Amino acid sequence: MNESVLLEVEGLAKRFGGVQAVVGLSFYVRTGEILGVIGPNGSGKTTTFNLITGFYPPDRGLVRFAGEEITGLRPYGVCSRGICRTFQIAKPFRELTVFRNVLMGTLLRHPNPAAASARAEEVLRLVGLEGRAHTLAGSLTTIDQRRLEVARALGTEPRLLLLDETMAGLTPTEVEEAIRLIARLRDQGLTVVVVEHVMRAVMSLSDRVVVLDQGMKIAEGKPKEISSDPRVIQAYLGAEYRHA
Amino acid sequence: MDLTTILQGLLTGILMAGIYALVAIGLTLIFGVVRIVNFAQGEFVMMGMYATYWLWKLWGIDPYLSLLITMPLLFCFGVLIQQFLFRPILHAPDLAQIFMTVGLSVILMNAALFFFTADFRTVKTAYSEWTLRLAGVALPMPRLFAFLGALLLAGLLTLFLSKTDLGKALRAVAQDREVSMLLGINPDRMYLLAVGLGAAVSGAAGGLIVPFFYVFPTVGVIFVLIAFVVVILGTLGSIEGAMLAALIVGVAESLGILFAGADLGLVVVFAILVATLVFKPSGLRGQA
Amino acid sequence: MNRVLSPQGYVPAVILLVLVVLPHLMPNPFYVHILVMMAIFVVLGQAWNLIGGYGGQLSLGHAAFFGTGAYVSTLLVNAHGISPWLTMWLGGIVALFLSLPVGIICFRLQGPYFAIATIGLAEALRLLVLHFREITNGAQGLTVPFKGNAPWLLQFDSKFPYYYIALVMAVATVLITRRMERSRLGHYLVAIGQNQDAAEALGIDSSRAKAKALALSAFITGVAGVFYAQYTYVIHPDGVFGLGLSVQIALVAIVGGVGTILGPAIGAVIMECFIQSTQIIFAGQYPGLELMVYGGLLVAVILWRPRGVFPWFARLYGWIVDHLPSPGAAQA
Repeated sequence: MNESVLLEVEGLAKRFGGVQAVVGLSFYVRTGEILGVIGPNGSGKTTTFNLITGFYPPDRGLVRFAGEEITGLRPYGVCSRGICRTFQIAKPFRELTVFRNVLMGTLLRHPNPAAASARAEEVLRLVGLEGRAHTLAGSLTTIDQRRLEVARALGTEPRLLLLDETMAGLTPTEVEEAIRLIARLRDQGLTVVVVEHVMRAVMSLSDRVVVLDQGMKIAEGKPKEISSDPRVIQAYLGAEYRHA
Repeated sequence: MDLTTILQGLLTGILMAGIYALVAIGLTLIFGVVRIVNFAQGEFVMMGMYATYWLWKLWGIDPYLSLLITMPLLFCFGVLIQQFLFRPILHAPDLAQIFMTVGLSVILMNAALFFFTADFRTVKTAYSEWTLRLAGVALPMPRLFAFLGALLLAGLLTLFLSKTDLGKALRAVAQDREVSMLLGINPDRMYLLAVGLGAAVSGAAGGLIVPFFYVFPTVGVIFVLIAFVVVILGTLGSIEGAMLAALIVGVAESLGILFAGADLGLVVVFAILVATLVFKPSGLRGQA
Repeated sequence: MNRVLSPQGYVPAVILLVLVVLPHLMPNPFYVHILVMMAIFVVLGQAWNLIGGYGGQLSLGHAAFFGTGAYVSTLLVNAHGISPWLTMWLGGIVALFLSLPVGIICFRLQGPYFAIATIGLAEALRLLVLHFREITNGAQGLTVPFKGNAPWLLQFDSKFPYYYIALVMAVATVLITRRMERSRLGHYLVAIGQNQDAAEALGIDSSRAKAKALALSAFITGVAGVFYAQYTYVIHPDGVFGLGLSVQIALVAIVGGVGTILGPAIGAVIMECFIQSTQIIFAGQYPGLELMVYGGLLVAVILWRPRGVFPWFARLYGWIVDHLPSPGAAQA
């Protein structure tokens, strides 16, 4: 693999009780690219994020980030090395203000609360939340909650950002905004992995796409190739045919 | 230290384990179903002991017979506790739950002190001094009866939980509250049942040991501490786990007393707690 | 200048002044004793609050740290005549080291383990101290040899110096709490309390943060234990390692208001007044009645005011400050 590979996942596997959530999964992410990860429900996308970021240890396989093996590191260790993720079901610090939420992220690289505060303000402006800085996180609208998830993660100054279904339930206009934001982040040097169901967004954003089904990678390539790949189409429609 | 003494220690430990199991089962049942860590569980034991004592003192009722009265009494008490004290804090933060039961424990312990004074009390029955001697080892009958009684009650409870509809409903709520609601089970009723049973079972433990154990207001504290270790070792919420763990803890305590000294038995028990938390916090029956 | 002259600035200063003058207004030394006990409980409650309130980990065994400080110090003072001013720090440090394994073992777990482990720790220490009576004098306890007025040995013949030392400790603990709340650790503890998973995803090592809070809490509690030993001259295992003391410490913080800077201080004042009044009312005639009332108080607080009395106090304080003359108003 060449030096432009930022994240490498090799042979990842994870079983929960009777369910094999992820099987022999391998893929890579190049520095500066946007990688889309798609697949039907239950295909293991969020589990993969959880394995990479240390929320579960994998049964087998390894994860390498910027050349360093990070398999099995606890989430805070993964984050401090430069990978930050958002959650599919947003986990804001509900009783705290938007500002303080983001502050929790910026404190990682700026232990001095004053410096961290300054950074937090910058981040809020970047995602467009500066007007809501003193709103309680628990009372935000859906789109703002997603913005907050991204803002918090950005505060930790990651090199790799993992976005888990950030666009679920957003209106088409909001999806456009989100796409623009993510593209802007990439232009500023961030590498992004986007797990999504909103096909239009993934296909227009991603440089490459990885397709998962039942815990395995079934296809990989440019968005155009993927959208006409019969295996991918079957995976999505598969349920009907499997029961036929 | 000869073999007979060690065997004696082992025997005492095994016999006492039955009682620890009953107290722990009450605790783990309440935790498994209602998800409340009941620091007042030892006071249920204490209340069972006092009830048994007074029934014997005032009306001459045999301690084992009085179980038929004390168990229903404690069941009702448990139901009241659940309805008025636990229910409001079911979804409250941990702090509220822990300190509610601690507060309850303080109230009950000191109520006993206030009403019955700090005097140590005992019950003397015809069989209090019966002892069987086998190969140099003494087997005091009250302890054996207590062990058998505990075994019987634990067995009955296990049968109830596995064979009856009510018992299965209880287990369903313990496993998954929401799904059991979809199945038409009323969780509030199950909570009442769980706390009632938990109180009755631990109260019975108290009743069973009165023939050979002093009764005093703070007696519950020792039992609840040991019960916590048993419950954690046996996995929170698991009744079979509690029984197995009780055996381990009972024997360890007894041997600890033998080798380290009478006042260090409890320290040995805490050592088990530490070991469990370090090596297998999920307990004997837990998935790591 | 405006800041100092405004109510925000001068009300705390006035309160401080009152606290300094207070013992001289007391009719007899017994009331000064009450003030000293209040101050000690302020320290204990505030220290408990660091791990119990901010850290969200409920300790039911803080007496373990208190007793450790008391015994370590008294043993050293008796054996080698070392000044308690020095052993105070040692007592705190030993208590701190005691807290480390507890934190390491318990904080990686989710569940009631910490509460149970702390009870176990305090009880185990109590039993061990009782057991090794050649060293610790067992149930009879240890006494600090009376040397009359000996400030370098932290002994005074009047209660006033004790009060002022305790007052300094109490104010220091409040300031330490405030400092911590505004530091990164303080923020992180709040984040962990809100949502531990999200906090970890942001690079927060939750176990480490809690362990730091516990270490600080244990240190302060140990130091308080040393002071207590010097103040009362006698310590017993049941008193300084007892479950009752642990519950009382936690109660002070809960009644006052966990997770706030001044909650436990207010709780300590309320509790001590409460204790003294119940002792007057019941005059020690009805053993158990007093504690039954505490238990009832705890249950009542949990049911109706789980956040403690601090919100009321904060509102009252705010009202007072708003209605006091300020430089701006004078110019209007």
